[in-house]
Amino acid sequence: MSLLLELGLYFSVLSLLSVGGMPSVIPEMHRYVVESRGWISHTDFVEMFALGQAAPGPNVLISSLIGWKIAGVPGAVVTLAAMCGPAAVLSYWVAGVWERLQGTPWRALAQRAMAPMVVGLIGSGGFVLATPGGAVDWRLWLIAAASAWVMVATKLNPLWMLAGGAIAGAILL
Amino acid sequence: MPVTPPRSLTELFLGFLSIGARSFGGVMPWAHRVIVEERRWMSPEEFTATIGLCQFLPGPNVGNASIVLGKKWFGLKGSIVAFAGFFGLPFVWVLTLAWLYSDFATQPGVKPVVIGVAAAGAGLFIGTAIKLAKPIARKPAALVVIAGCFIAVGIGRVSMLIVIPVALLISYFLARRGLL
Repeated sequence: MSLLLELGLYFSVLSLLSVGGMPSVIPEMHRYVVESRGWISHTDFVEMFALGQAAPGPNVLISSLIGWKIAGVPGAVVTLAAMCGPAAVLSYWVAGVWERLQGTPWRALAQRAMAPMVVGLIGSGGFVLATPGGAVDWRLWLIAAASAWVMVATKLNPLWMLAGGAIAGAILL
Repeated sequence: MPVTPPRSLTELFLGFLSIGARSFGGVMPWAHRVIVEERRWMSPEEFTATIGLCQFLPGPNVGNASIVLGKKWFGLKGSIVAFAGFFGLPFVWVLTLAWLYSDFATQPGVKPVVIGVAAAGAGLFIGTAIKLAKPIARKPAALVVIAGCFIAVGIGRVSMLIVIPVALLISYFLARRGLL
């Protein structure tokens, strides 16, 4: 019970920090559940991330997979509810305010201030996932770099990059 | 082309259900397809404005959109129905997949494939960061904030509970001085 409570509280905080969506909080989630609490291993984390990316649906479901790995189905329900709940309440409340701020300088200012931070956080997410325990494995970096390049250079559905990663993994790893 | 908001909660539910159920490889294109093209609930311009708000807010973008749009059309009931429709099927599928995988993971040759998928997924994050950075990369202050966040969070592994408030404060002052 106390584990579920801790998961719920922690993911509620993450929910409010997740500017830029799920990718921004991946490094923090990894830091906490793998490095700080040691609930699951880096490999577990990476496996759940891969499943969450490959399955249809919003990538916030990665958090429910992490919750499932830590505390079974109750863990999955609690983490998803905690990850979505506070942000959902905020959205519900802010929706009206935002419409009224349309075209005001404050709104443009807030968006400009947030953009570089989100870029830094999402880049960190990619780095942490491809660098297990801070150790450089050139094969993982090669797969990640190829997939990043295809994403920037083409308009292919990301599923192709994930499929390419599967094939490269089978050959290289 | 005339746009008509959903007429019933059932229609709202089914629309968001079909977004969640079909969204392989990213939710946003499917949200656009269902809401703007198939069901014509709103114009492309309205859709872009709503998504702009949801990208600004914390939380899953399309999950937030389900809350905002549900409220707009049916109030609190609409928010709950749209949210449940959107998450219902993907939640069940992803857990089924994980459950199947846990039996399957010990087979030789499975792990490298999954780790490869994760590395490609990490690459998608890096690709996203590069795409988002392109329009702001001309400003030196933006590059400094990007690098600072990356060094603190990615390499230094400092908690985001510290990094986000500090970065927001610095960025806010930089933006006010016209540097971002």
